Amino acid sequence: MWRYLLRRLGQALLVVAGVVTLTFVIMRLVPGDPAVAFAGPKASPEELAAARARFGLDDPLPVQLWNYVRDLVTGDWGTSLHTRRPVREDLMTAFPASLELVGTALILAIAVGIPIGVLAARYKTKFPDLGVRVGSMLAVSVPVFWLALAVQTVFASNLGWFPVAGEYDGALDTTSPLTLWTNITIVDALITGNWPIFTSTLQHLVLPALVVAAYPAGVIAQLTRAALIEEAGQDHARLERALGFSESKILTRFALRAALNPVLSLIALVFAYAMVNGFLVEAVFNWPGLGRYAVDSIRSLDTPAIAGITLMIAIVYVLSNLAVDLLQGVVDPRARAR
Amino acid sequence: MHWHKRLAVAGVAGAVALTASACAGGQVRGAGGTPGPSESAAATGGAAPKQNDATFVYSPNLGVVTDWDPATSYSNEIVAMSNIYEGLTRYNAETKKPEPRLATEWSSAKDGKEWTFKLRQGVKFHTGKPLDAEAAKKAIERTIKMNGGPAYIWSAVDTIEAVDPATLKFTLKYATPLDLVSSAGYAAYIYDVDGVDKDGKKDGGTGPYTIDQWQKGKETELTLKAYEGYWGGWKPEQYKKVAFRVTPQLTTAWQLLQRGEVNFVQRLNPQLFEQAGMTQGVQVKQTPSFQNLLVLFNTESGPTKSAEVRQALQLAIDYDGLAAALKGAGVKSSGLVPQGLLGHVAGMEPKQDLAKAQELLQSAGYGPDNEELKLKLTYAQGDDDQKLLVTLLSSALKNVNVAVEAKPMAWEAQWDLGKKKGQDVFVMYWYPDYADAYSWFLNVFRSKDQPEFNLSYLKDAEIDKAIDSLPELTATDQLKADQVYADLQKKIIQEKAAVAVPYVQTYQRALTADVKGYVDNPAYPNVVFFYDLSR
Repeated sequence: MWRYLLRRLGQALLVVAGVVTLTFVIMRLVPGDPAVAFAGPKASPEELAAARARFGLDDPLPVQLWNYVRDLVTGDWGTSLHTRRPVREDLMTAFPASLELVGTALILAIAVGIPIGVLAARYKTKFPDLGVRVGSMLAVSVPVFWLALAVQTVFASNLGWFPVAGEYDGALDTTSPLTLWTNITIVDALITGNWPIFTSTLQHLVLPALVVAAYPAGVIAQLTRAALIEEAGQDHARLERALGFSESKILTRFALRAALNPVLSLIALVFAYAMVNGFLVEAVFNWPGLGRYAVDSIRSLDTPAIAGITLMIAIVYVLSNLAVDLLQGVVDPRARAR
Repeated sequence: MHWHKRLAVAGVAGAVALTASACAGGQVRGAGGTPGPSESAAATGGAAPKQNDATFVYSPNLGVVTDWDPATSYSNEIVAMSNIYEGLTRYNAETKKPEPRLATEWSSAKDGKEWTFKLRQGVKFHTGKPLDAEAAKKAIERTIKMNGGPAYIWSAVDTIEAVDPATLKFTLKYATPLDLVSSAGYAAYIYDVDGVDKDGKKDGGTGPYTIDQWQKGKETELTLKAYEGYWGGWKPEQYKKVAFRVTPQLTTAWQLLQRGEVNFVQRLNPQLFEQAGMTQGVQVKQTPSFQNLLVLFNTESGPTKSAEVRQALQLAIDYDGLAAALKGAGVKSSGLVPQGLLGHVAGMEPKQDLAKAQELLQSAGYGPDNEELKLKLTYAQGDDDQKLLVTLLSSALKNVNVAVEAKPMAWEAQWDLGKKKGQDVFVMYWYPDYADAYSWFLNVFRSKDQPEFNLSYLKDAEIDKAIDSLPELTATDQLKADQVYADLQKKIIQEKAAVAVPYVQTYQRALTADVKGYVDNPAYPNVVFFYDLSR
């Protein structure tokens, strides 16, 4: 198990190193002078020169790359040209809210996607299967930005069932101040028993989380269905049928475990994808996560911040893959041998 | 262990690890004591109380604060800072003159090279210290010493003297209208130098509001509360609390405004703005800004070196069509200086004349029967209004055998190319840092060996001489200054044809109907002076 873990960790580090190098190169290939973004659109030549000196932009590229990597390793992700604060600090402020949204969405996607995948496999080619296939196809193909706007207009603005935007009712900051432990609002509200903020956050979470969950739920349902249908045709399923197990039992008790392996791998992929997809949803629902930070950074050509977001997403991607690899090792010992 | 159980244990362990990794250690969020924005909506029910307990909620589309230092601040925070800090004067766009703020009166001597300001009595900084000439001197000297982006506005200042506690005297290196400089939205704040806090936990201003809570990156990023000791005093109907709720998406801001969750939306698109004008419970305001679009022609090299070609390009722009397509987001300009500033000239509105344009092109050796004229044009990426101009211009020029190779670029890249003289036509906005038309002429049209913003590369000694006379004239003889501005505009636009000015941007604001007293002051872009509002 340890060798397996070390191998996976080594691969993860290689991926991160690749992303760092690529990010740096892209940062420097973008036309325009990052010093202008820092010093302002009306900066004088002296101010531009000072900004270039401050960020080492006059150094040769290899030196700049070396400095960038050295700083990253020591925890310095650079200074945002727009907010003028350390990028890592900015990311740590925004990341918990994104994690809250995407985490909730993923739980929803798994809770909905796997059961309906099982349902579709159980009633293959029948009406429930058709419904699941059409529904999941729609969930996967509808552009998330459009879905967010539509859901917000109908369920928040027109029907008034849910709040239009925000993480929770700001007035509660006065009446029920929240003690922060994890910086994830819903988790902190739960562990400190702050029910007003907990319920308000839940209400605010419903629409954006459903929108972010649409794509992963669709993909998980389709893959679960396909994997289960394949498993149901294996020798072990024939034996189980011969022994008198019902189709439902065969699918849930025997086939599902084996079918979960590809689904778990997929979850790692869709988690990172949902994180980026969530940027657009965050923008529509005013969710104070990485999305808003990314939008501000891109608008102001804030290259250190853009690089920081890219690196953070890469780390999330790598870590979630690593976590799934380890989980696969738990679920299926054969994975450790691969 | 059964695989289901092992999976569950792994999941729980993962969640615990995730939670632990983000551990913040028990700080309290929102302990500042200011009610959140929703109170505004709640307070609207029932009989209108005389005391205004509602929170005014401002909805910007970008982050609120990037720099809390009043010396160096030069970005979006102008909205918050202008309500926390004050300068010696404040510009009034209707009278075109600066008005008293922390200074009650002022005078200039020695042809605008010496300025004396009398300070308002009884003013206290939010730190509790009284405002006197020594404190004001320290603040301005600190701003000059820090030399941040906007500090250049004080570049004429040689010495500052606190003559007595109520009198501040400036001696200048060259004549400058210091009363206008003192009204700037950036770097002109008078503050307690010991009250500056880069973390936004406190401030050293004298303004009507003080920082209540700043939560960088949060949806309600900043809340302000009334400074009870404000020199202007407080009336019951004024807003005592202000919140900034960041809303990047325009449609979301519009929905929040309709529901009364925010009171002021900084910007809507023309379609939503039109809708807002017809919506009950919402009021709209349109005000021309001090920001205009400049189409700068390369006067030094390439095909636009010919004055006839430049004049033809000026005449090819469909000014009226563009203004109509902007649906109120811009109005046709008259000259280089927008209305509301000294130097504005009425009756200089440009008109499209394609026949005349074709005639000029023929005379320059181009046009339908000659070789195709190819022009390189750069404009701001992502700016729909500029894109509209480029589309209309390209289409009009196609009819007279002119092909426009238009390149949308990020400002940094566009400016870089401009400084290398890499285009024939450069499209950009210009606005002054304080209410003085001199900014256009000094920066954009005065000769420069190495171009910065002089991206028409115009070099004319006579124009330079007239530009150099402007600061002193503005300080000493405004009638004469007005005349020089008018002559310069005619020379630069009509004679030299170095630029076309298609439109001045218009601010389109939407507010809840219960807000009274809102006036947009273009000298302070996007600023709402909350103290002037009531409900």
